[in-house]
Amino acid sequence: MTALLEIDDLRVTRPGVARPVLDRFSLTLNAGETVVLLGDAESGKDIVLCLLDGLSGRGEEFSGTIRFRDGEAKQASRKPRPPFPIAYLPAAASRPLNPRVNAVSQLVRVIARKLECPRGAALAEFRGALARLSGAPSFELLDCAPERLDEVSLSWALLAAACAATPELLLCDHPFLDLSPSAARALTDALLAEQKRLNFAIIYAARGPQSVMRLSARTLVLRQGRIVEENDAAHLIGGQTHAYTQALFKALPQPVPDKPMRSSRGEPLLQVQGLGLNTPLKKTVKAKDALSFELRRGASLALVGEDGSGRRALMRAVLGLERKPGRILFDAVDLNLLSEAMTARLRCRVAFITSADEALDLRMTIWDTVDEPLRAHLNLSRDLASGYREAALKRVGLASYDGRRAVATLSPFDRRRLLVARAIVGAPLLVVVDEPLRGLDAMGQTTMRDLLMDFRAEQQSAFLVITSDFAVAQALADEAMVFSEGRVVERGAIRTLLENPKDSVTKALVEAAAIRPLPPASEPV
Amino acid sequence: MNATPVFRRILVAVSWSGLGLIAVAVVLSDFLARAAAGTAHIGPLLDPPSAQFPFGTDQLGRDILSETLHAMNVTVVHALPAALLAIVTGSVFGFVAARLSPPLRLPLRWAMGVFAAVPALLLAILLIGLTERGYAAVAAGLAAAPIAFVRAFDRAQMSGKSVHAEYARATGIAPAALLRRDLAYEVRDTLLATTARAFAAVTIILATVSFLGFGAVPPHRDFGLMIAAAKPVYVQAWWTAAFPALALLIVILLARLAAGLDEGERA
Repeated sequence: MTALLEIDDLRVTRPGVARPVLDRFSLTLNAGETVVLLGDAESGKDIVLCLLDGLSGRGEEFSGTIRFRDGEAKQASRKPRPPFPIAYLPAAASRPLNPRVNAVSQLVRVIARKLECPRGAALAEFRGALARLSGAPSFELLDCAPERLDEVSLSWALLAAACAATPELLLCDHPFLDLSPSAARALTDALLAEQKRLNFAIIYAARGPQSVMRLSARTLVLRQGRIVEENDAAHLIGGQTHAYTQALFKALPQPVPDKPMRSSRGEPLLQVQGLGLNTPLKKTVKAKDALSFELRRGASLALVGEDGSGRRALMRAVLGLERKPGRILFDAVDLNLLSEAMTARLRCRVAFITSADEALDLRMTIWDTVDEPLRAHLNLSRDLASGYREAALKRVGLASYDGRRAVATLSPFDRRRLLVARAIVGAPLLVVVDEPLRGLDAMGQTTMRDLLMDFRAEQQSAFLVITSDFAVAQALADEAMVFSEGRVVERGAIRTLLENPKDSVTKALVEAAAIRPLPPASEPV
Repeated sequence: MNATPVFRRILVAVSWSGLGLIAVAVVLSDFLARAAAGTAHIGPLLDPPSAQFPFGTDQLGRDILSETLHAMNVTVVHALPAALLAIVTGSVFGFVAARLSPPLRLPLRWAMGVFAAVPALLLAILLIGLTERGYAAVAAGLAAAPIAFVRAFDRAQMSGKSVHAEYARATGIAPAALLRRDLAYEVRDTLLATTARAFAAVTIILATVSFLGFGAVPPHRDFGLMIAAAKPVYVQAWWTAAFPALALLIVILLARLAAGLDEGERA
């Protein structure tokens, strides 16, 4: 069988960069085949996608050859001009569309250009592709500006547009980045179903090994522009040869060794009584859906569910950012009944770690960010405060950074670590953690997960973990409440929920997290 | 980094250098000027620009170059405290007012919004009428304050409603600490620009009220008064008003460029 694409010994250099951004890269891809390019941001996978899509940067120099299907092998160049249609599937998180112009009209324009057909025909193709995608939202829901669409809906629209272009090669640029595991799984299943129908090949750039698991495809692991390991998914998941690949695969959901349950011990720290959770889709709350639970000192509870399920509404109510009907007691005190100053004194024992980019004041320096809770809550001498600050920064791995650096100059991963350092210095009784791994690459996810597990083990703080990923929940919490449409559909010990989920929502979430079942408690782990 | 911010940064640096030169000229005006302020019959009447009198002379035979230097001194010396007053009563008060409780802050914002809608010049004339002509600088400062207040208030409200401020409050950072933080960064990041903008605004007001006869008192003439004095002879002797007007234009333009040229905003 003739390969659809053959890249041989490709080398790409960029002006001003000492080493090649891609080196000795070879790839053979057959029609209908999927290849995953796995690596971090500087690994060179983006260079391959840009080259095939004709979007290579000016000044880049190429050596090596590319051959398309039956053609001759040609010297690699900025615009390789493949003789078959290629489609590009970006991540919704990268905001690929103009946020204020109707999403469908933008996508239809792209399809019309690809298919060289009138827009009416392109619209029909888009509608048809959308209808074929199992689990996709309706056309009417997508027929609005991208700024009004959530990332999952926008991902469906982008996928439908890519499939409507009937490509022979689909370039997937981290397409389902930062989506919940169940949404990513549903989208991946739809993508693979379309691949089966249309028989297009896929080059799938991914940061984390979760995509390798979902796609079960041949994988090329890239590091600093070079392929360091190549194997099919089953072999890679079973065991990795290269140290870099091993580090990447540490981000996969691991069964956490059996840990003592702390939820039944200690005084109640957080008590939620009769709280009504309205969500964007559910404006009114029935009395039977009102939520009550308590979190004891040192315990950890995960609120698991999809976006819009109500868990974030609960988190905002607990943090005092929104008022809801019902009572929330922190350390046996109803915060809603206190003055602002008194509330601040109690809330200083709460820490918040989130994936939201705006969580830190970008104008502040590293030192000021960590110092602020210390200055606000404790009357410490300058030396003592500086000691606490340095210890916290050391724990998260930021001690070597210049403390006068502005937060704005830090990477998202460093900002996340800084948030943890800020939380650590406050010696909180309660740590609210909101999607702590979202937006990080595989290495970052592993580090952040380990940091938070270490934080919890050392400081004995209670954790309230908001996540859509059971893998995160089981790493950081003992118990979980599963949310759907503003109410709790199931609750219990995470181990029990993983082994024996009863509700369909829980089952879907557990399945999407793809954690191997934990061994029985009596067996050694 | 793209070219626009670089160009803007260069422009701001050049403008501040220009303002620095003006400050030197103001300090040394008595030395640089050929004659003391208001000295008449130093040359022929209405003598056009020449090697002896580069800016010419006016209808009383005063050297326009010397008078322009003195006028710059008067204008800047009045404009600086006026700008300071506008910043304190406008920007700082506006920033703090945005963090007051709603029953206090909302009427304040409304009232200042109304004042900001009134041309600052009319407000200054009204304030001078309520006091006296010698208080023109105070009047100009207070007249420019509502716009500064509204701008600072809206910035502070946006900052107070930001996600990081919301999260800081949720973790026990008191509103006073947040205000201190915001104020410190506001001063660090915008003080120079705010000062330059306020300076430009009050300079325009001061020059205009003087031109209309409500401002500077002779013999301490500022640019407005110099231009007003040139009215009867301007058609025959253009230099009598053109040079002070040009000097005023340069001062205002440099201040606005130093403020970062916010074209959409009023100075």
